[in-house]
Amino acid sequence: MIRKPSVSYLILPALIGIFAVCLACSSGKPVEAEEGRAVAEPKATLSAEETAFQERIQPLFKKYCWRCHNVDEMKSGVRVDQLSAVPEDRILFQLPGFQKQIDDGLMPPPEEPQPSAAESQLLTVWISQTLTAARTRDRKKNGSVRRLTVPQYRNTLKSLLKLDEDLTEGLPPDGISKDGFANNGQALVLSPLQVEAFFEIAEQALDLCLVDEKTKPVIQNFVMEFGASINPKPCPDQLILGANNALLNNADFVVTEPKPIKPFEFEPFAMQTKFEFIEGYVGNDTIRAWKKFDSIYHSVFACVRGSPGYPKGEAYQVIPSGLVLRPSIPSSEIFGVSNTYGPMANFKISLRELPEHGNFRVTVTAAKYDDGLLLNAGEPPHVAETSSVSADAAKLGEGVTIKDAGIYQVDICTIPGKSQGLLTLSLGERHFAGQLLETKAGAESVGDGTQLPEQRTAFVVVRLPAGELKLQAKYGNNARLQRILFTPLKDDSDLARRFKIFEQRLPTLGVYLGLRRDCGSTLTPVGASQSVSTPDLKAYVFEGSIRDFPNPDVEKNNVNYLAGIREIGVRSESTDGRDMPRLLIRSVQFEGPFYDTWPPPTHRNVYIESTQRNDPAAYAREIIGSFATRAFRRPVTSAELDTLFQVWQRRFAEAQDFRQSIKDALLVVLTSPQFLFLIENSSTPEPEDLDPYELASKLSYFLWNAPPDERLLHLAATRHLHDSLDSEIERMIRDPRCNQFIREFAGQWLSLDKFDVVATDGQRYPKLTRDAKAQLREEPIEFVKYLIEQNLPLRNLIQSDFIVANEVVANYYNLASRTESGLRFVPVKHDSEHLGGVLTQAGILAGLSDGRESNPIKRGAWLARKIVALPPDDPPPNVPQLKDDDGTKLTLREKLERHRNQKGCAKCHAGIDPWGLPFEAFDAGGLLKSDRPADTSSKLPDGTEVKNVNALKAYLAQDRIDQVAFSALKHLACYATGRSLSYNETLFLREQATKLKSTEYRMQDLIRFIVKSDLFLKK
Amino acid sequence: MTSRLQLNRRAVLKGLAGVTLGLPLLEAMGKEVAQAVPRRFCAMYTANGMSLPNPKHGIDEWSWFPKTEGREFQFGKSTEPLTPFREHISFLGGLHHPNGTKADPHLCSDMWLTGAPLHNPKPGMFNSVALDQIVAQHTKQFCRQPSLVLSIDAGVGFLSRTGTISYNIEGKPIPAENNPRRVFDRLFRGDRNSAVAQREQLQRRIKLVDAVLESSRTLNKQLGQSDREKMEQYLTSLDEIESRLTASEKWIEIPLKTQDYSHLNLDATSEGEPREYYRNMFDLIALAFDADITRSVTFMLNREDGMGISDTFPLKLGLGRTHHNLSHAEDKEGQMAFAKYDLFLSEQVAYFLNRLQQFKDVSGSVLDNTIVLYGSGASTTHNPLNLPTLVAGGGNMGLKHGTHWRKPKTLMSDLYLSILRSMKIETPNFADSSGVLRDSIFSKV
Repeated sequence: MIRKPSVSYLILPALIGIFAVCLACSSGKPVEAEEGRAVAEPKATLSAEETAFQERIQPLFKKYCWRCHNVDEMKSGVRVDQLSAVPEDRILFQLPGFQKQIDDGLMPPPEEPQPSAAESQLLTVWISQTLTAARTRDRKKNGSVRRLTVPQYRNTLKSLLKLDEDLTEGLPPDGISKDGFANNGQALVLSPLQVEAFFEIAEQALDLCLVDEKTKPVIQNFVMEFGASINPKPCPDQLILGANNALLNNADFVVTEPKPIKPFEFEPFAMQTKFEFIEGYVGNDTIRAWKKFDSIYHSVFACVRGSPGYPKGEAYQVIPSGLVLRPSIPSSEIFGVSNTYGPMANFKISLRELPEHGNFRVTVTAAKYDDGLLLNAGEPPHVAETSSVSADAAKLGEGVTIKDAGIYQVDICTIPGKSQGLLTLSLGERHFAGQLLETKAGAESVGDGTQLPEQRTAFVVVRLPAGELKLQAKYGNNARLQRILFTPLKDDSDLARRFKIFEQRLPTLGVYLGLRRDCGSTLTPVGASQSVSTPDLKAYVFEGSIRDFPNPDVEKNNVNYLAGIREIGVRSESTDGRDMPRLLIRSVQFEGPFYDTWPPPTHRNVYIESTQRNDPAAYAREIIGSFATRAFRRPVTSAELDTLFQVWQRRFAEAQDFRQSIKDALLVVLTSPQFLFLIENSSTPEPEDLDPYELASKLSYFLWNAPPDERLLHLAATRHLHDSLDSEIERMIRDPRCNQFIREFAGQWLSLDKFDVVATDGQRYPKLTRDAKAQLREEPIEFVKYLIEQNLPLRNLIQSDFIVANEVVANYYNLASRTESGLRFVPVKHDSEHLGGVLTQAGILAGLSDGRESNPIKRGAWLARKIVALPPDDPPPNVPQLKDDDGTKLTLREKLERHRNQKGCAKCHAGIDPWGLPFEAFDAGGLLKSDRPADTSSKLPDGTEVKNVNALKAYLAQDRIDQVAFSALKHLACYATGRSLSYNETLFLREQATKLKSTEYRMQDLIRFIVKSDLFLKK
Repeated sequence: MTSRLQLNRRAVLKGLAGVTLGLPLLEAMGKEVAQAVPRRFCAMYTANGMSLPNPKHGIDEWSWFPKTEGREFQFGKSTEPLTPFREHISFLGGLHHPNGTKADPHLCSDMWLTGAPLHNPKPGMFNSVALDQIVAQHTKQFCRQPSLVLSIDAGVGFLSRTGTISYNIEGKPIPAENNPRRVFDRLFRGDRNSAVAQREQLQRRIKLVDAVLESSRTLNKQLGQSDREKMEQYLTSLDEIESRLTASEKWIEIPLKTQDYSHLNLDATSEGEPREYYRNMFDLIALAFDADITRSVTFMLNREDGMGISDTFPLKLGLGRTHHNLSHAEDKEGQMAFAKYDLFLSEQVAYFLNRLQQFKDVSGSVLDNTIVLYGSGASTTHNPLNLPTLVAGGGNMGLKHGTHWRKPKTLMSDLYLSILRSMKIETPNFADSSGVLRDSIFSKV
């Protein structure tokens, strides 16, 4: 709708363009002048401030600024022509910048006409007044309607349905707002494709949850047990599973299908044992001929194909008590660079059949093996002492007598000759195998002075009990084996100390599920890995939902022997390659679908207990009412219930199918906006208090990224939530669900997605392997989590004397010797010049690079935006791209420098680059450069000079901690409310936050401050 | 806008065609569908690479790639059958998938149409979406079936030894059909029972969408002063879904175009004579395009690494060794025989192009309105660089043919993006694409 301005305006044609802007703003609605459409109605009279602006202020802006800062030109991305007497929020954010430019005499630039001192003052005073005036104006609040993000939807569905399966894989990812968050209501768009997906997911979910109570479930259960010659009736066929086949000996494992004990009736599932295939492998060749097979061992295999070449010892060994595994040393699995068959020491059960849905349970009976420390190539054999005991090869059967219990070094004495490779040695019931790395040395002198034609090689260090020790050894045909020498080690010797650290280490057991490919496996971990702490066999349980793992997607009766084979991987996890006692696996059991009860909880969760079970309509209404109340996170209204009940009625009238009719009604619940959206309903433009249920959801989606639990809803129902805020926040932060918040918030605040996508140059940064990257990606999250859990002062985010690391991360920073925590993240003192805080974490610095070279601009812009909340303006539309190949031989750094000095770029870059330059000491792998630039000093935008990263950190953590706190609060507030903040809200944070300074801006205090502020509690 | 005509992809996955009731196409689906010039895509894959003989054997004229580049190129002996289509085809050289160089080379057929990083798959996911399925997403609203997925062997083969080249949005393999009779029945003889079941399913879904709409509108009224923009978006989406479902229901009523099926030999199978088999499959694709049953087709002509029946075809043709063994041949005789198998395939492709040229659209021939991609995931055995690639047709979509275009280290994904853009599918990128191919055969990208 376009209205003609009144006649009096028409006599000032030059100003017409501006009217649209001013009038629109005075009516409170933003209008884009360039669209040429004024939506607002002109008012008859102008207010005093409008008159003043038009008469005195605007002409000055027009005269001095408009030429460069208008809709077409938009130098540095700035427009001045949009200014009005009552600027909209977006423009308020820019005004302090304008003021500073004028104050400092930077704008207009020297070559342009300059305003007089009086004119400059007029403008700066006007800006001050306008900002002050803006503070007193109340902003309208109109509630909010925002869709659940994909993770929120996933968590909500899981919690509501008690369904473990993740059905949300196919949903498109959420958009990211300008503040960097995926939960911003404005950025969360909705397309028909998405809504269609919500219908599909709801349909699938309900199919999985509800069962036919009268049918018996079918349960698959099998056990694979290991031990040398454990199988009295091994499969007589030579088993082959594709090219470069590696399977355990048929006699060394046995597969059975025992019937589990359950408190309900079920159908045991027997795996298929008869097959006919036309394609299969013989060695590396495909054959094509129909062939019949009949054995469970053509259905379930014990596969050990992995990358060969375990650096020390045998990757795996079957001994009488089971299968012993060394840690799985990962391979990068890139063709031509490394083996694609997966890690070294890669055991998995390969099998044809697993259930199609439901939860499963893998139980591994395992123990920490009472192991010896294999010695490295070239480690010296012990000089025989009087306390040494020797066992001659010819009389090994007699064993030896160990006089005192203790730590012994075992050396192998051989007649010099050609190395015979593998030595297997049994000491009592303990078994060792490894390459005997003989030196070339010939005869040498031994303690008693006689010359023996033997050479001695250090092999293993073990703890031995006193008494008789049975011995067995095999080295080639044993012709060169002379004797085995046992020498007790002094408790304080280096080697004994090394051994004591070694024997304290706990292997970590990991279970995986995936698919076999000819070129390796796709294995995904089943839950978290577990420490195996005892030398006695114990059951370790791993659970998952089968649908969350890759499905083979092949048809039944595929004609290829290798088609659709799944794998259950069982590993001792590797960290940084340190020596680790082996993991003993006695058996692996699989059960699925796993039910404790029947019907399962997902079913009973919907089919609630009721006295009305025999009255279909009444029971249906009860079911739907209860479900909708939980789904909507507030009591369902009677109008809503009527609509839903009608869906049930209509369907039930058609075929009297109770379950199907319930499904239909619940499907409507799961696709309704009351479920999919977080709604804060507002009845007036004035700020109103959240209602208790709205508050419960707002809190839980903030601190858990998940729906409110029963307690929160109970407090809402009894209207006690508002006055229980302190204790609820406390409780919610302690709850494990809080990790979902921290992962989401920290990941987005610190832009960890950048690290996910950076293509690291593997040649330059060989330490930044796929597995190291996965752990380094966790480091910032674990760090923030630790700060919150311990309620530490915020300054630690910038500068801390510890890092939070596991062995992989610590090893990346060359701090491996300070950790013994396996894959667990723990605080580690670093005593380093350059570590501590998030700024110098490898995941951050490497993410802010191009994978090859460090990039001070990316790092500077990140710090400005995320850490000090002084975001640079967006680059202007005509910004030139830096070209890789522009015909010059400049380095990236030199190109960036040239770019920075270009006119039009300099202003923005003055607010970016100084923050990034100190980080030039770090390479694109996030570690100190080996050829460190001599000068990493920087003059910060406020004029402070810092000489290096440490000085920058100190400056931020001490002098500028208020600014850092403001940034943390601003990001927390944006995330908590799911929207961008208004100008007034940012001012509120800036001013009020200093109250937290006396207690050093502790992390939980920041969270509490946000929750208890109006920006969270009002709608 | 054509949004009201869009079809639900799941609703029409299984055969609906041929149920001859009621409305003619124009009346039911509106002018836009009935009269617009269609844009189609067909991808054909051959495994184990093409013959690029070792120069020491002195049989360069048997190289699959033409000797000279540019518009002056000459056909080699193995591509001679394509000579009549010189102005409708181009050879493209120097293409590769960067991820192909990192993964085990046997995976090249898995990733040919997807470009996925199979050496480092996302947990829980194997492949990523294939080009034909992106095309299908954008063309499905104009035809009865989003796509047609064919292969020499039925099903999907298995991970890393795929039997299909088509992967859906979630990266899951789409099972292929290999039997001419089954394909014919599915496309041209829709089965009555499944149509009824489909319709019931559609009607149920429409009712549920209605109920959600009702519940949402009630809520919307209660929302008072709240920001309603998001709710409006939701209601619009629901409306949209409802109209798609309604459109899907309508296709069930529309009769198929009348076509001549007399030349088909539906008893041909992959176990029989290879030439007869391929020709019938190509006839079916051409007929499906002509009747606008689908606009996106993939056909895996043979499989990598000695899998499946196609490995034996060279034996049946008297070339002495299996396909996989021929591709590994180092000797002159073996490389010659491998080239002769290429020649056999060229004859089949020429037959197909000819069929497409004979069928006429509202404007131009079906070939003019179809971009045909033919190629392999390896140049010679297990070499993932310089992928042999032939593009045919699509003259009405701005393709300028009759050339041997070559640019080393060009991304396959850039070719795919160029194909999408030529089809007016304005997606910003495809897989690891860096942009469209400039100064190439694509004049409208």
